[in-house]
Amino acid sequence: MNDPFGDARLSNTSDGPSALRMWPMAAIVVAIFVIFIVRLFQLQILEGEDLASRSQANYVRTVRLEAQRGAIVDREERTIAASRPAYGVDIIPHEIRNPWRMYSVLGSILGRDPTEIADKVGQPTGRGRFKPVSLSKDLPLVERAQLAGHRYAMPGVELYRKPLRDYVYRSMGSQLLGTIGEIDARELEADTFTNYRSGETIGKTGVEAANERHLRGQAGGVNLVVDVAGREIDEIARREPTPGGRLVLAMDLDLQQAAEAAFISDDPEQPNRMGALVALDPWNGDVLAMVSAPSYDANAFAGGIDRKAWNALNSDPLRPLRNRAIAGVYPPGSTYKAVVAAAGLAEGVIDGTTEVTCLGHFRLGRRVYRCWKRGGHGTVDLEGALAGSCDVYFYELGKVLGVETLARYARLFGLGSRTGVAIRGEAGGLVPTPEWKMRTRGERWIDGETISLSIGQGANLTTPIQLAVAYAVIANGGQVVEPRVVLRRETWDGEVIEEVSPVVRAENVIARPILEMVTQGLTSVVMAPGGTGRRAQVPGITVAGKSGTTQVVSLDLVEGMEPEDIPVRYRDHALFAAFAPVESPEIVVVAIAEHAGGGGGAVAAPMVQKVLARYFQKREGQVPSQLAALELRFPSSLAIEPMSGGIR
Amino acid sequence: MELKVERKRGQHFDWMLAGIVIALTAMGLTNLVSAAASGVEGGSDIVGRQMSVLGLGAIVAGIVLVIDYRHYDRFAYVIYAGSIALLLLTLAIAEETRGARAWLFSGRFQPSEFAKIGMVLALAHYFGRNPPSGIRRIRDLIVPGLFVALPVGLIVAQKDLGVAVLTLLIGSTLLPLVNVPLRAWIGIAVVGAAGFAALFQYGLKGYQQERILGFLDPSRDPLSSGYQQMQSKIAVGSGGLFGTGWQEGTQTQLRFLPTQHTDFAFSVLAEEWGFLGSALVLAVYAMMLLWGLLIARNSKDTFGAALAIGLVGTLLWPAAINVAMVLGLAPVIGVPLPLFSYGGSALLSAAISIGLLLNISMRRYVF
Repeated sequence: MNDPFGDARLSNTSDGPSALRMWPMAAIVVAIFVIFIVRLFQLQILEGEDLASRSQANYVRTVRLEAQRGAIVDREERTIAASRPAYGVDIIPHEIRNPWRMYSVLGSILGRDPTEIADKVGQPTGRGRFKPVSLSKDLPLVERAQLAGHRYAMPGVELYRKPLRDYVYRSMGSQLLGTIGEIDARELEADTFTNYRSGETIGKTGVEAANERHLRGQAGGVNLVVDVAGREIDEIARREPTPGGRLVLAMDLDLQQAAEAAFISDDPEQPNRMGALVALDPWNGDVLAMVSAPSYDANAFAGGIDRKAWNALNSDPLRPLRNRAIAGVYPPGSTYKAVVAAAGLAEGVIDGTTEVTCLGHFRLGRRVYRCWKRGGHGTVDLEGALAGSCDVYFYELGKVLGVETLARYARLFGLGSRTGVAIRGEAGGLVPTPEWKMRTRGERWIDGETISLSIGQGANLTTPIQLAVAYAVIANGGQVVEPRVVLRRETWDGEVIEEVSPVVRAENVIARPILEMVTQGLTSVVMAPGGTGRRAQVPGITVAGKSGTTQVVSLDLVEGMEPEDIPVRYRDHALFAAFAPVESPEIVVVAIAEHAGGGGGAVAAPMVQKVLARYFQKREGQVPSQLAALELRFPSSLAIEPMSGGIR
Repeated sequence: MELKVERKRGQHFDWMLAGIVIALTAMGLTNLVSAAASGVEGGSDIVGRQMSVLGLGAIVAGIVLVIDYRHYDRFAYVIYAGSIALLLLTLAIAEETRGARAWLFSGRFQPSEFAKIGMVLALAHYFGRNPPSGIRRIRDLIVPGLFVALPVGLIVAQKDLGVAVLTLLIGSTLLPLVNVPLRAWIGIAVVGAAGFAALFQYGLKGYQQERILGFLDPSRDPLSSGYQQMQSKIAVGSGGLFGTGWQEGTQTQLRFLPTQHTDFAFSVLAEEWGFLGSALVLAVYAMMLLWGLLIARNSKDTFGAALAIGLVGTLLWPAAINVAMVLGLAPVIGVPLPLFSYGGSALLSAAISIGLLLNISMRRYVF
């Protein structure tokens, strides 16, 4: 019934177990496989020893040819990281005759202590005897020539050529580019590193790690027939390595250099600035520049960093290895007021004409909150409050909005969560809420905290890149973009493999007219006579921005001290976030100077200015002339005008 | 009657053969993961594609399995004619790929892999009606000889030497069964040798001749055909007793053999799993073939027996040629190792063979 054909049509005359002779066939099968197993035994056990070791005069040695790591170039294809040929020297313990004589000769050539070499080689057993021990990965020319000269007198000493990483601009953008290093035991076990072998160089952090697969390339190899002394007799096979792919970053070298320079102190007596700077294209998230200061020379990692240098870098209290632009968390300070303003407008609590009178302080219950301007700002509207960074205006506004509303809007701007930049180690920042406080500290929210929060102080924490994304939202009219570090991936010879498309994480998070009003206020910060960000002005360009100065310690600690006397670690952070041109924003820049000892307007605004100036200098010709711009934007002083051009 | 058929099906499913095949497939796939991890051309897709073909193969084997094999007996000649028609079509329309015109659908489908099975069916049908034990004269072999000669000739015309030799060997798998006297065998051998010489001279391209000469004298051209042979031996040899470990073979991971995922898959196995691993795989493979012969012995009719033997041939000969090639015992000709090499048509053809063997086995003679 279940047989679709039915048995009726089949010959049911089964002729029983067939009388066919099976044994010849079985004999053939057995014979063939016995021959194979004997042959395997011959190749793998009898002759295999000859291939793997040197029991016979000649044997085959496989030499791996490492691939060049792919180049990293900027958006205009200028090389940032390349590979250069370098020479290294290994010891193969099993092949060393007369070890002590050898170590002393090597020691004198390399300028190292023979016992140190002996310790490094040790007394490996088993397979370990055949495993090369690296003495140097980047030999100076003279040592290389000397070793090459003695080559045949030193069996077991292997001189090899291997490409090494070369960071053209040394300490420029080091944290963004990231570090490379030898793969460690734990990584070798990980799924991401199947088919990697020990001793291989991999990206450990930053762009180098995030694009490891692309940059790696494919190793090649040669099978050499060598004699007892390690002399090459013949080459049997060769597979050329394939260099790793080229990586085109969104970074603009010119801007990156300008941004790095902004951290160098004008006064040689003073130390350089510490902190971070991020420049973004607000439309597609392109990371045009990313600085974390202090930096370090990335080339220290190129040949495999030695323990001492690594410890020094790693234990440096200034933490040069850390990418402050994505992993540094700072209270946003007054730069946060733009978010609070947008929240107020969107909730209908204020409009452009709402006025608050600032007498220099604000009272909540028994506590008094001061405005940074002791004498007060007088009566200010939103634009004036932003321009003069009036704290009292935002205390009032924050009090009405409440902590939950503030948090909701902060999140809309992308604050308090990772931006999704494709580099490891990004911090999430923190948007505090009563629920958060209860969960982490087990304490109830105090209304006063909402007041601190509304001027970006308190538990509020953002990363520089988050702040840049938030200001990009204002600049582009409501889109939360994902910062894009890599523009495209190409083969080593320049064929495009993949274009990385820009990602918009959220659209129209805030209505456009609201953002236009906020922009108007931010424009006054830079352009108006009383603005706190006047030092971010770029001739001929309308810049919008906001300064921020954040307390690191409670005011009581430094009360009454002269600014110079305050210990560096107690000094305020200076922040500035800006975008330009206001008519159709092209670039967002956020700078944070740690413990600057000066306000955001005084210290961070000029840093942002340097980057903006460089940017507009570069595309000179397309910039409207100074006069036209002034006329377009500011017919009179501070009068509130409907924005003619608006933002795109 | 119906009930009996149904009961037999379930009760007599050949778990032994199925188990062996699953074990071999798993080993083959594990090995392929390593061969692909080295980054050979198209590396990243290889494992995924092989797995989808395996899935398809399981379905095909399942379908082949549920239809009583005696239906294949009824339609043997139809199937045979169909496979010959496909070969003709291939010859007519296929574009030349790698020097041969053996593939359809831009290199994705190789009809000759399936023609082997059509041929085995036709031969089994013939021997089912003319029991081999009754065949005593050479002229009785003319008809089955033609069954073999036709596809072999067409495959030679496609310039696919490896599969042609393979098909010839599979076709001759049933020869030892017949009762032809010794001098007849000698005659066949002489004709065969003459045929091979003629094939070598006129049927082979320069590079194919070169491969065979390169095998006979490896120093002749160390960089091409001899190279692969030499390199394969180095890879196998560097495996030693225990092997270098999965994904650790220096020769494999540096891709000295460009076809290590297809024709030289066994060299990967031998390098990374050593003598113990590769000998074990060979032993399991031999066990599968011997089990196939046992199925032939227990089949309830001569058609089933002859078919089973022929199917064992379709699994034996490619493996024999492939492993002999990898171990430097035969010239380099492109024949995949069933269940181990990457390749869709060969894998599907093996799945059909196994499905048919399981089919015969579960409908075997029961006392």
